[in-house]
Amino acid sequence: MHIIVCVKQIPDPEVPPAKFKIDPDTKKVMPPPGLPPVISVFDERAVELACRIKEKNPGTKITAITMGPGKVSDVVKHALAMGADEGIVLQDKAFEDSDSFGNAHILAKAIQKIGSYDLILCGRQAADWDIGQTGSILAETLGIPVVTVAKDIEVAGDKIKVSRVMEDGYEVVEAPLPCVVTVSNEVGLPRLPSGMGIIQAARKQVPAWTAADIGADPAKIGPAAAHSEITSLFIPTRDTTCEVITADTLAEAAVKLALKLRETKVV
Amino acid sequence: MAHREIFWNISHEYIMYVLSFIAVVFVAYAIYRHYKMWRMGKGDERSKNMGSRVWAFVKTGFADGLGHRRFLREPYPGIMHLLIFWGCVILLLAAAVDAITHYLVIPLEGSTYLWFSLVVDIAGILVLIGVILAITRRYIQKPERLNTFLDDGVILSLIAIVIITGYMIEGLRLAATEVNTNPDWALWSPVGLVFTKKTLFGGLSHDTILTLHSVLWWFHAVLVNGTIIYVALSYSKLQHIVISPLNAFFRNLGPVGAPAPIDMETAEVLGVGEIKDFTWKQLLDGDACTNCGRCQDVCPAWASGKPLSPRKLTQDIKTQWQKVANPKSNPPESLPPLIGGAIAEDEIWACTTCAACQQACPVFIEHIVKIIDMRRNLTMMQSKMPENIQLMLRNMQTRGHPWVGAQTLRLRGDWTSGLGLNTLAEDSNVDMLLWVGCTAALSDRNVEVTLALVRVLKAAGVSFGILGEDEPCCGDPARRAGYEIQFQTSVEQNIALLQGYNVKNIVATCPHCYNTFKNEYPKFGGSFNVVHHTQLIADLLKQDKIKLTCDLRSLATYHDPCYLGRYNSIYSEPRNILHAIPQLKLKEMERSHSKSFCCGGGGTHMWFEQQIGTKVNDIRTDEALKTNAEIVATACPYCLLMLEEAIQGKDLQQPLKAKDIAELVDQAMEKSA
Repeated sequence: MHIIVCVKQIPDPEVPPAKFKIDPDTKKVMPPPGLPPVISVFDERAVELACRIKEKNPGTKITAITMGPGKVSDVVKHALAMGADEGIVLQDKAFEDSDSFGNAHILAKAIQKIGSYDLILCGRQAADWDIGQTGSILAETLGIPVVTVAKDIEVAGDKIKVSRVMEDGYEVVEAPLPCVVTVSNEVGLPRLPSGMGIIQAARKQVPAWTAADIGADPAKIGPAAAHSEITSLFIPTRDTTCEVITADTLAEAAVKLALKLRETKVV
Repeated sequence: MAHREIFWNISHEYIMYVLSFIAVVFVAYAIYRHYKMWRMGKGDERSKNMGSRVWAFVKTGFADGLGHRRFLREPYPGIMHLLIFWGCVILLLAAAVDAITHYLVIPLEGSTYLWFSLVVDIAGILVLIGVILAITRRYIQKPERLNTFLDDGVILSLIAIVIITGYMIEGLRLAATEVNTNPDWALWSPVGLVFTKKTLFGGLSHDTILTLHSVLWWFHAVLVNGTIIYVALSYSKLQHIVISPLNAFFRNLGPVGAPAPIDMETAEVLGVGEIKDFTWKQLLDGDACTNCGRCQDVCPAWASGKPLSPRKLTQDIKTQWQKVANPKSNPPESLPPLIGGAIAEDEIWACTTCAACQQACPVFIEHIVKIIDMRRNLTMMQSKMPENIQLMLRNMQTRGHPWVGAQTLRLRGDWTSGLGLNTLAEDSNVDMLLWVGCTAALSDRNVEVTLALVRVLKAAGVSFGILGEDEPCCGDPARRAGYEIQFQTSVEQNIALLQGYNVKNIVATCPHCYNTFKNEYPKFGGSFNVVHHTQLIADLLKQDKIKLTCDLRSLATYHDPCYLGRYNSIYSEPRNILHAIPQLKLKEMERSHSKSFCCGGGGTHMWFEQQIGTKVNDIRTDEALKTNAEIVATACPYCLLMLEEAIQGKDLQQPLKAKDIAELVDQAMEKSA
């Protein structure tokens, strides 16, 4: 079985939004200096799920694939250290500022170049922009089924049983292989790369493929091909005001507080 | 003239030499067998630099060996062992003197002989008193830490019988000779005299005495050699007579609790997963353990009801080692695994690396590194660890510090805002780097200490810079968790960073950073001149660069952080500072200095809590409360948080605040400035 996991590098999502700045001209987010990029939390769970499938189904091969500018090979190395077998980086100036359709096209082209695959795992959404479309469009592009927000996958021959997260529990759906599954955080804490895993990952070569390598259609990628446009971008501000309720007795204060809460529609 | 009788009344004495020879053969075999079993372990640096090792052994041998320094920290068992030890040493020397005088025909006679008799008689009594103390302790008092086996009773009985039969033989000889011919001389053997015919053996004929003497003499000789053979063949703890001094000889002469670096390029196994992964010295450690339990008595994990006892851990490793060494009686497939079998994972994670066990051990066993080595195997080979440890390590990997989620509160450089501090990136031309440390930069309570320290350093006119938001983690939490790969990555990056700024002097606020820089970085090529802030402040006070004029009018107690005290022997500087603060009285807790009790936060316990038993910080806070102090001063960010948490958790009738020494100094100089 061959599992391909799509992973994305994002700015550390644990940093409070107020630390970010926005460039009003290019409408781009500028993370605070020195902020370490990390693997998107949902994608990391996709790698975790792939590793769990591999443990249960010996002979499974996992390929981690990422796209982005800069030193994105770090997230592939992280996936390799966790237990992936091979890694591929997609890097080209032409890829930049693509939207979900563009990204799905690039990934689809790369996956077609890889050739054989049984299962493609993506995070349910990237933890930076939270759009959550790429996985589904990728399935559409490849012409295979998609199951979204999975918390567990059980392989049964040429089919898989996927536990999908619901608001009040989960449902189990069956899908034929090959297919795309987007993975949710309910998978649980991803494993810490083992020491041996890190050592072996460091020794592995990660090839970088360009637009020409995968034969991407220039008309379908980049900002020009985008189906959507960012018209404005702002950092949410949260104002807090503190009002101290004073009264002669505690009972009186409690009544005043209750009235105030009703007035502000908190209760 | 009075003289020593050798083989009086005894014929065929060569039989005794045959017996002794057999005993020697068994001892030689035992030594060979143990040697082979130690060599089951990996190589260890301890076999290098023998010269300095010999010198260290000689230098400390008098106090630690002959003087029983470590034993006497507890009077009862200390004196008990001292009596048996010195009694036996004198008796053995007496036997040697006998042999020398007899075969070199050096006369031992006159008053020299009489004094000799007296000393040897007293030595036997010392041993007997020691044995009686030991029997009382083991079988009547039964302290919790003692685990009694058949061997304990056997060896105490053997020692007692050997000594008592010795006296009986002496008494019988006296009865037949000196008591009749030279009663004055007999008085120099007062204990043996008890057994002369006037008392116990009264009314026996001369011939009966001679026969009885001869029988008892041979019984005594067989018993002594039999005891030696028993000890050589069994795993009796009396083997410690040879193995413990050997272990003391090969003891750690370097920094406390520092694990050996792993060569990540060549290592095939990371950490210790089975017996053969230990080094030979680590196996020798187990062999030297006499199960005395001093370590267990001082262990914070044990005291708070956790599953770890350093005594049990050492004994369990020893038992597993003995089983692995004897595959015939213990087929490998029948053996439990070392981790998760002989030693439970919970035991391995319960250690706070406080080093109290190592300080208490009279035979210099090192528990901490073995525990870290097993953690290495768990985290790096098996990916098994408590969930919060995993979160902490992931955070170190991705964010460069161990504080999970702390970034939603603070970023590393946040505390510096408005202080106008110089970062090395702006100007590295300063006398020293203030290494703040993750906790002191990210946790709100600890930032207060950092700010106080900055005020003190500024007031004293110290030229210092900081790294600000570029400051990474020193790596200590990863190392104590056994995740050596992250530690070595941190060390490599940090050395490059610090050398890039040409940093020579570092002042660290955290004893864990301090210890790591001072004792563990040099092995990776990073040598810096590191001081802890208490050392720096004490020095500034001495040079009169800080004036403390403000009365604090308070009673304080001082909690020794493990990594400052036991790890680095910094006991006096913090106390000197506290003494220098006007109107601040210092009252020590029952356990202080090298006997100080852990706060519960070391060895990665700052980031996870074992939900077993009680809390270590509660125990320590109760000890602080007993002093009636209003302030429990400390000098470590972990200790501060742990003590504060425990104080808040108690419904206290008396006021008690946890403070860092830097805060107290800041307070004492505030109004004068």
